Amino acid sequence: MSTVTADAAPRSAGLSTKLRRSWDKHWTAWAMVVPVVAVLAVLIFYPLANGIWLTFTDQTEANQVAEICTKSITGGEVCKENPNAWSFVGLDNYINVLTGRIGQFWQWTGTTLIWTFFGVTFHYGLGLGLAVMIHREMRMRGLYRVLLVLPWAVPAFISAFAWKFLFNEQLGLVNSVLNGLGVDSVAWFANKWSALFVAVIANIWLGVPFMMVALLGGMQSIPEELYESAEIDGASPWQRFRNITLPGLRPVSMTVILLGTIWTFNMFPIIFLVTEGQPAGQTEILVTGAFRAAFEGLRNYSLASTYGVLILSILLIFSVFYRRVLRKQGEVW
Amino acid sequence: MRRITKGLAALSSVALAFTVAACGSDSKPAATETKAADPASLSAELTWWDTSDAKNEGPVFQELIKKFNTTYPNVKINYQSVPFADAQNKFKTAAAAKTGAPDILRAEVAWVPEFASLGYLYSLDGSELLADESDYNAAAMASNKFDGKTYGVPQVTDSLALLYNKELVEKAGVSVPKTWAELKTAAQTVKQKTGVDGAYVNPAGYFALPFMYGEGGDLVDTTAKKIVVNSEQNVAGLKVAKDLIDSGAAVKPSATDSYGTMMTLFKEKKVAFIVNGPWEVANVKAAPGFGGVENLGIAPVPAGSAKAGSPIGGHNYVVYSGVPQEKAAAAVAFIKFMNSAESQAALADKLGLLPTRKSAYEIDTVKSNAVVTAFKPVTESAVSRPWIPEGGQFFGPLDQMATEVLVQNKDAKASLDAVAQKYKAEVVPSYATN
Amino acid sequence: MAQMTTTAPLAAPLGDAPARVNRPRRGRRSVGASIALHGTLILASLIAIGPIAWVVLSSFKPGYAVQSTEITLVKDPTLANYEYVLFETNFPSWFLNSVIVAALTMLIGIFFSATTGYALSRFNFPGRRSLMMVFLVTQMFPVSILIVPIYTIMANLGLINTLPSLVIAYLTIAVPFCAWMLKGYFDSIPTSLDEAAALDGCGPFRIFWRVILPLARPAIAVTGFYAFLTAWGEVAYASAFIQTDDKYTLAYGLQQFVPQFNPQWEYLTAAAVLVTIPAGIVFLFAQKHLVSGLTAGGTKG
Repeated sequence: MSTVTADAAPRSAGLSTKLRRSWDKHWTAWAMVVPVVAVLAVLIFYPLANGIWLTFTDQTEANQVAEICTKSITGGEVCKENPNAWSFVGLDNYINVLTGRIGQFWQWTGTTLIWTFFGVTFHYGLGLGLAVMIHREMRMRGLYRVLLVLPWAVPAFISAFAWKFLFNEQLGLVNSVLNGLGVDSVAWFANKWSALFVAVIANIWLGVPFMMVALLGGMQSIPEELYESAEIDGASPWQRFRNITLPGLRPVSMTVILLGTIWTFNMFPIIFLVTEGQPAGQTEILVTGAFRAAFEGLRNYSLASTYGVLILSILLIFSVFYRRVLRKQGEVW
Repeated sequence: MRRITKGLAALSSVALAFTVAACGSDSKPAATETKAADPASLSAELTWWDTSDAKNEGPVFQELIKKFNTTYPNVKINYQSVPFADAQNKFKTAAAAKTGAPDILRAEVAWVPEFASLGYLYSLDGSELLADESDYNAAAMASNKFDGKTYGVPQVTDSLALLYNKELVEKAGVSVPKTWAELKTAAQTVKQKTGVDGAYVNPAGYFALPFMYGEGGDLVDTTAKKIVVNSEQNVAGLKVAKDLIDSGAAVKPSATDSYGTMMTLFKEKKVAFIVNGPWEVANVKAAPGFGGVENLGIAPVPAGSAKAGSPIGGHNYVVYSGVPQEKAAAAVAFIKFMNSAESQAALADKLGLLPTRKSAYEIDTVKSNAVVTAFKPVTESAVSRPWIPEGGQFFGPLDQMATEVLVQNKDAKASLDAVAQKYKAEVVPSYATN
Repeated sequence: MAQMTTTAPLAAPLGDAPARVNRPRRGRRSVGASIALHGTLILASLIAIGPIAWVVLSSFKPGYAVQSTEITLVKDPTLANYEYVLFETNFPSWFLNSVIVAALTMLIGIFFSATTGYALSRFNFPGRRSLMMVFLVTQMFPVSILIVPIYTIMANLGLINTLPSLVIAYLTIAVPFCAWMLKGYFDSIPTSLDEAAALDGCGPFRIFWRVILPLARPAIAVTGFYAFLTAWGEVAYASAFIQTDDKYTLAYGLQQFVPQFNPQWEYLTAAAVLVTIPAGIVFLFAQKHLVSGLTAGGTKG
């Protein structure tokens, strides 16, 4: 915030009055955010900073300590220097990952982008459609709301199992319905695209209720009077939707699309449990691929962090870009 | 204030560790002394993480603990059932942070060398637990060895066997196959004569091992430090498996949930032959309509051109190295009790778990247990896996390979080469490749 | 959806605003539009409950019938699964733990995200923009990578195997989102309200508490429900931090039914049903507040 380049004495004086003035003016705002910032700093930013540092080393579970001690149950302890203690490796981790020497970064990224794009598009589209419908006064509105929200209330890993069972090649309901219609069974998970299709469907199913509820909440802030006067002016339902609902939902939409994208990008359980990355790792997305690469067996912290930082970078670029686009249409954040 | 006392406590325990370390050899007689002493004088509180099936197996272990407490009334065991799927990472996370790890853990065989290499386990050499080491099945014991020391004792062993539906096999009039070639014809005959499928080959890395071992292949050669997963033998082994599927002897497997599908089909008598371990016997027995354990045939896995071999599995008891030395005697007493021939026999009797002690197989209830005796030759000929700390990372790439070859019809050699490359890049970089 | 006429001109004597909330908004729907609307919603509801129906039906089946070559809706129906889950596991204490963790996450989460969201919405203080970005960044780093370092921090704080460790971890997930969401919502509440209250002599905290929060009920309901569900269904942190059976949360307790081999689908599904019902009930309460806080007057003008 302060980029003062003058010599020492006046700067400190100027800075302190500036700080004082700033404090007087903003202390309420700071008081309101400080608890959250403190907790996040300890729990997220410290590990994050540590993680960034790890990416320049080759630390794993096995080489992170300087010496390994073996205690004997009969007493006594032998410590010896870790034969392959960790060292700085510069950018090696990034090079290994980006050149595909380790893992399939580009393939996973591609899959993740497709997965995220379809997931978020349908989450938002269907969520908005349902929210608009359910916002209207009608019979059984409460019942619809509850039924439509249920997929969100079931623990995600249970739903994942349910979807996997439905699409089981030999024992699943979907294939038996297809057979009933005279269509051959589909080997859903033997092909990348059909497997990804199942996963995306499951994810859409899982995520629509959240969007619906969030948008429903957003619609409450649109003054009813706007609709009424629009109606008097003879606006069609579509025009009202276009010109009142959508702009009115803008702050909420902006938030849920942005965060929905981030969440879907990092959505772990569906891929991990529904497709298990099958066939042969082809439906792996970045988070699941990174997890399997780094956390099966001896945990490779530096590799995991490298993936983490790459994921973070992609999402940061996305957010900045997203903000640019939105800013052209007005104030964002 | 509290922090200071805590700090003092930590300091004193460090001091204690130093004194103990300083008189390492002297403390040995002390340990033997406690053995001779009255069991009631042994007093400690121990936490045990059990990773077995909480519903079916857990209660039997808890019964054993009760029995243990009749001899050792002052050793309190905090029994914790921990879901198997996250026990490994949970233990390592806790051990690394030096907070929250249990005193005793039931560890899967592949975990032991890994944990030991990280310094998370007590070595048990010189303790009573290894006094009768020769009584243990050598292959089951092997997974506890790392770098010349022994870090655990085997609780239960297992291995893959050929499981078959006796009724279907008899109906088809085939004999129990001894080789993969015989399995192929037997399965085809079953399909012709009974209308149900002959066999199910699970397209997963672990389940592909019997085919590779059968031709004399392996994953890595730990003595020569060489990656041999892409050998000609393994290619040949996979071709055998692939041929079972292509010829229609085995069902076309699915890429996900193939294990569950295989078991459902087998339990519902829709497939005659599968390859699986003793852990499924109880489920098959409980399946309505299968015909109980009387209808279940168990035989060693069929042989390839070189031999018949299946990978060894199981679980071991290990002691966390963060346990204070003064609790060590109690931990030893507990494991000794839990793993005695009598306890193993009780577990075999109630749960069908395969004992790791030779003497347990001499006990009458074990001798008369048809399932355990059927599996005995299977485990005796089981092939040891590479017991190195990186052992847990071998199966990810191998699973991918199995799907590629058995489901997606990719070339076995190319897939295995990719596995070898991955081993070299990510698992054992110091090993040589073919 | 065609003709919507007549009622609008009658609208709006200002005074009876609260009553309007539950009144039919616009003119009557034509029969065709009604059928289309209900038809779509019924279809959507069916899709929504389809997989859940599988879970519910399975929970009444014995284990062998859950996955079978013969696909059935009902097979040998039994209540034994529920009996086992309720009476032979630690389910009641898991339930209590989940309620405590989720309720605390919800209450503390709403409180902090509301204050933060308000500050972000109303005050243009230095660091405001970067704080918004910081909140986003917290959501970007994969949880699976954070678990090990967070465990170490919790261990240093002496919080391993305690429920507060979970509440804190879940707050780091819930608060950034909720603050963003509430900020957006506060943005849509006209600042003229704050100004009016300030003229009446209210301090900033009082304005927030007395004027703005009551108007933000729908958004608070949404974010509160979100915070609740985050805590209710989370598994990864719970599996790392919690070590004894009596401290498990429901979602993690369910993992006990999935041992190495032999997953017990019948118990898993029965427990899942029991886990879902309270979440549904909480939503029933939350949705009562999903009514406009803003139409209660004020915005005109």
